[in-house]
Amino acid sequence: MAALTHLEEEKLIKEQGYNDHFYDHHHGDKHQMGFITKYIFCQDHKIIAKQFLITGIIWAIIGAAMSVIFRLQLGFPEADMAWLRPFLGKWIVVNDDGIGSLDPNFYYALVTMHGTIIVFFVLTAGLSGTFSNLLIPLQIGARDMASGFLNMLSYWFFFLSSVIMLASLVLSTGPFSGGWTAYPPLSALPQASQGSGTGMTLWLISLTFFVVSVLLGGVNYITTILNLRTKGMSMWRMPLTIWAFLITAIIGLLSFPVLVAGFLLLMFDRGMGTSFYLSEIFIGGQALDNVGGSPVLFQHLFWFLGHPEVYIIILPAMGLVSEILSVHSRKPIFGYKAMVFSMLAIAFLSFIVWAHHMFMAGVNPFISNFFVLFTLIIAVPSAVKVFNWIATLYGGNVRFNSASLFAIGFVSMFISGGLTGIFLGNSTIDIQQHDTYFVVAHFHIVMGIAAFFGMFAGIYNWFPKMYGRFMNETLGQIHFWGTLIGAYLIFGPMHYIGLAGVPRRYFRFDSFETFKQFDALNQFITVCAIIVFALQILFVVNFFYSIWKGKKVTSKNPWESNTLEWTTPIKPGHGNWEGNIPTVNRWPYDYGKDGVDFIPQIKPLAEGEQHSELHQ
Amino acid sequence: MLNYEESKKVVFKGLILLAVVTLIEVAIALIGNGHIIEGMHWPKWLMYPLMISLSLYKAYFIVYEFMHMRYEVRGLSLSVLMPTVLLVWGLIAFANEGMHWNTSRAQIKEKNAIGLKSDGQSSKSSSEIHSSEVPATEAPATH
Amino acid sequence: MITEHVMTDEHNHGTHDTPGSWNGAAEPFKASYGKLMMWYFLLSDAFTFAGFLISYGALRLSMPSWPLPDFVFSTLPGGITHAPLIFVTIMTFVLILSSVTMVRAVQEGHRGNQSGVVKWMFFTIVGGLIFLGCQAWEWTTLIKGESMTVWTNPFGRHIEDGVYLEGDGHDIKAGQAFTVGAPYLIHYHDGHYNQLKYKNSAGEVKEQAFGPKAFGALFFFITGFHGFHVFSGVVFLLIIMLNAMTGLYQNRGNHYEMVEKIGLYWHFVDLVWVFVFLVFYLL
Repeated sequence: MAALTHLEEEKLIKEQGYNDHFYDHHHGDKHQMGFITKYIFCQDHKIIAKQFLITGIIWAIIGAAMSVIFRLQLGFPEADMAWLRPFLGKWIVVNDDGIGSLDPNFYYALVTMHGTIIVFFVLTAGLSGTFSNLLIPLQIGARDMASGFLNMLSYWFFFLSSVIMLASLVLSTGPFSGGWTAYPPLSALPQASQGSGTGMTLWLISLTFFVVSVLLGGVNYITTILNLRTKGMSMWRMPLTIWAFLITAIIGLLSFPVLVAGFLLLMFDRGMGTSFYLSEIFIGGQALDNVGGSPVLFQHLFWFLGHPEVYIIILPAMGLVSEILSVHSRKPIFGYKAMVFSMLAIAFLSFIVWAHHMFMAGVNPFISNFFVLFTLIIAVPSAVKVFNWIATLYGGNVRFNSASLFAIGFVSMFISGGLTGIFLGNSTIDIQQHDTYFVVAHFHIVMGIAAFFGMFAGIYNWFPKMYGRFMNETLGQIHFWGTLIGAYLIFGPMHYIGLAGVPRRYFRFDSFETFKQFDALNQFITVCAIIVFALQILFVVNFFYSIWKGKKVTSKNPWESNTLEWTTPIKPGHGNWEGNIPTVNRWPYDYGKDGVDFIPQIKPLAEGEQHSELHQ
Repeated sequence: MLNYEESKKVVFKGLILLAVVTLIEVAIALIGNGHIIEGMHWPKWLMYPLMISLSLYKAYFIVYEFMHMRYEVRGLSLSVLMPTVLLVWGLIAFANEGMHWNTSRAQIKEKNAIGLKSDGQSSKSSSEIHSSEVPATEAPATH
Repeated sequence: MITEHVMTDEHNHGTHDTPGSWNGAAEPFKASYGKLMMWYFLLSDAFTFAGFLISYGALRLSMPSWPLPDFVFSTLPGGITHAPLIFVTIMTFVLILSSVTMVRAVQEGHRGNQSGVVKWMFFTIVGGLIFLGCQAWEWTTLIKGESMTVWTNPFGRHIEDGVYLEGDGHDIKAGQAFTVGAPYLIHYHDGHYNQLKYKNSAGEVKEQAFGPKAFGALFFFITGFHGFHVFSGVVFLLIIMLNAMTGLYQNRGNHYEMVEKIGLYWHFVDLVWVFVFLVFYLL
């Protein structure tokens, strides 16, 4: 038995695949002629995926550039920032000596926007939006999403939300500046701070549209995965990517509505003068007549979404990494079912741990005990997954290319960040660590950098499918090693200064006697951050260069992978497969089985061969 | 699946059932709060569980009969109904939090009252009310 | 449908499939994607309402006292007072009835009976409109008649025993005694709320306090959000009824699936009302 040649593959699809009469009604790509229907208001999932990805990349550049600006402020508070005036305008205050400095109000706006943009626009829409759209129909053997129209709407709601958020950046009062978590009263009282007025209004509108986008996408992903799988693609034969997208979509479907509930109450507090979140507030010595609400209520509603949101970000990355590690180590994924069940367990637990973000907010210490307990249980499924990734790599014939390196980097980041999560999950230790740089370092590593690594791995791996070309491998490797080392150099020291009690969200530390000793460390972090930012620009250059000038893909299956997307033409048109839809005869991880390097899912079992998934 | 005549019957049975259950709920509220028989008050621990379980029964009936969940594939009904289990812990946690805000507000009020008094003359009442919370009552005195 | 299944079974005869694995190109949940999407949308909408109702619970439990529902909701059209919960019971009946007519419309759709679908959908729309009308009347009574707003809640309950020192010209007379938990309404006259003085058992003279603000705001907000769902449901029902009249769904030959989908939505609105009714009017 040997791997399939392309001719055999085509023959298989022709003979075994089934004819869904797709081409009786449509005529392939031909019915989508004009530029507008093909690239703008397009209902094809592959184009929508690219739209999500490129919008996400633009937002990532904006969000990361913001972090560089406030890192400059933290590392070099005395430095002249007048050169930023062309970008930031009046937010750079120039004194009589011509020395420019950052307006403290805008510092908070930058921190807030950095969080909002990266969490929602880049790591939710840019990651899950891109790869769910690209891979769900391709890997389950479907022509397109269940509803192409709603899928298109999903992107355009995201776009609308992006435009509104972008508009809030250029307001004269600045964007919202009360932290990405938008806790009242800063978010509930328009007079509370500069950004709490119009900035916050636009923030709320923008995120409400964003939720609409996520929900439209989510119902589509779920119904597509449930209803449109090809013949033979049972649930236990789906690649782990698809499982991850399914679970992500379910989490989003259940948690975002609760955020909407919280937002609507917040809008009423802002616009109608109700007191859902407000009580006993004094402004300028004057008591407001808002009585009886509780700001902690908003925190509960927010984190009921907010915690699952963390898994909405990390689960797609986990799915991509599982697939990539298996393909590039030429071994079946270790513990396929264990991977699925641990993802399900994580999804379930993510809904019952939210208050661990609020131990210091005045939550009843009694109920905190339960939240600590549930939180620490998450370590179990997470550890199962980490063990399985490492076991997949162990003894494998690993191809160290950009995709697999980033996948391995993901595992590394997930372990490092996960360990500090165990510290923070304890309510007693959290008393010391809350709102310090320890927390900042923790969540940046475990969900920021790790999710970015998963996304990069996915982009390097599926770029050939998206654009029919490879990304430059040398630049990719430089990107990987620089980012890996840089990320540890940025966030490693942050743990240290966090343990020493340096609080987050401070404008500058040099006026505090206690924190002065960390000036050099802060400068070091800033320098590393700038270098890492430059490396990401390198990635963006590589990305866009490769779209037009990259090395061309010459075979349908460049990674010698088993999954269905590599049985489509190099540049699949509308409808993905040219003739019949292939049928599936085995699970996606038959690598190295019976001495054969890889056996695609479409290949029928040989005489006397056993199903691999039966032994899982 | 039921045939047309059978399902027509189910509908009108359902109408009567929902109406009756609603009437029972309202009756419990009215009798329990002493509107029907003067001076008769049922305890909350009796009324609330009754009304909540009757409402849950109504919800079950609407979902299972009117929304046809009974006739759907098991996977579909599980996929829709299972996630609602997540709300149970939410309900417990939010309710607990609400009660906690109530008690902590009352405590703060009490402490404020004590603080005001001990600034003046009567320090006697403070030790009476809150002998257990010595630090709280002594804090204003040290200033 | 049956023949299709037989055909797929035959087709797969040659392949070695694991027992129980689904054989593709069919719907594992035996439901079209549109119906599934509606179910999952309703699931997520249920979580929105759950978010509101759970917040309501938390805010209510955080208050030392909460207005008594059968005291607050006790008016009927025609100036009748002291009719606790009667009006809202009628509203509930209307909604249940409209749910029943909706089920009938779906059943007629399954039979492919166009005129039946249109007839029962029409009754459903009428039911929805009556419900909305009732809600409008209820809101008007609370706002105009009893001066409850999202900022001020005149419905309170006593937290101590006492005796009124003055009357309000309605139900309360000077010298009348009350016990803990007794409900009261602070009447609004001539531009201000008339908070009555009373003497508590310790002999202190106090004024009636306003009820928790959250009550009014939550009531208007949550019933309003539900009412908005009813309203959009009526609009969709209307559009779909008109489409059904033109024979659009008859021609599609999918047993009026659109009617079934809007039916799911309509029952969901009824379902939510079960819980809104429970927490606002009963508990």
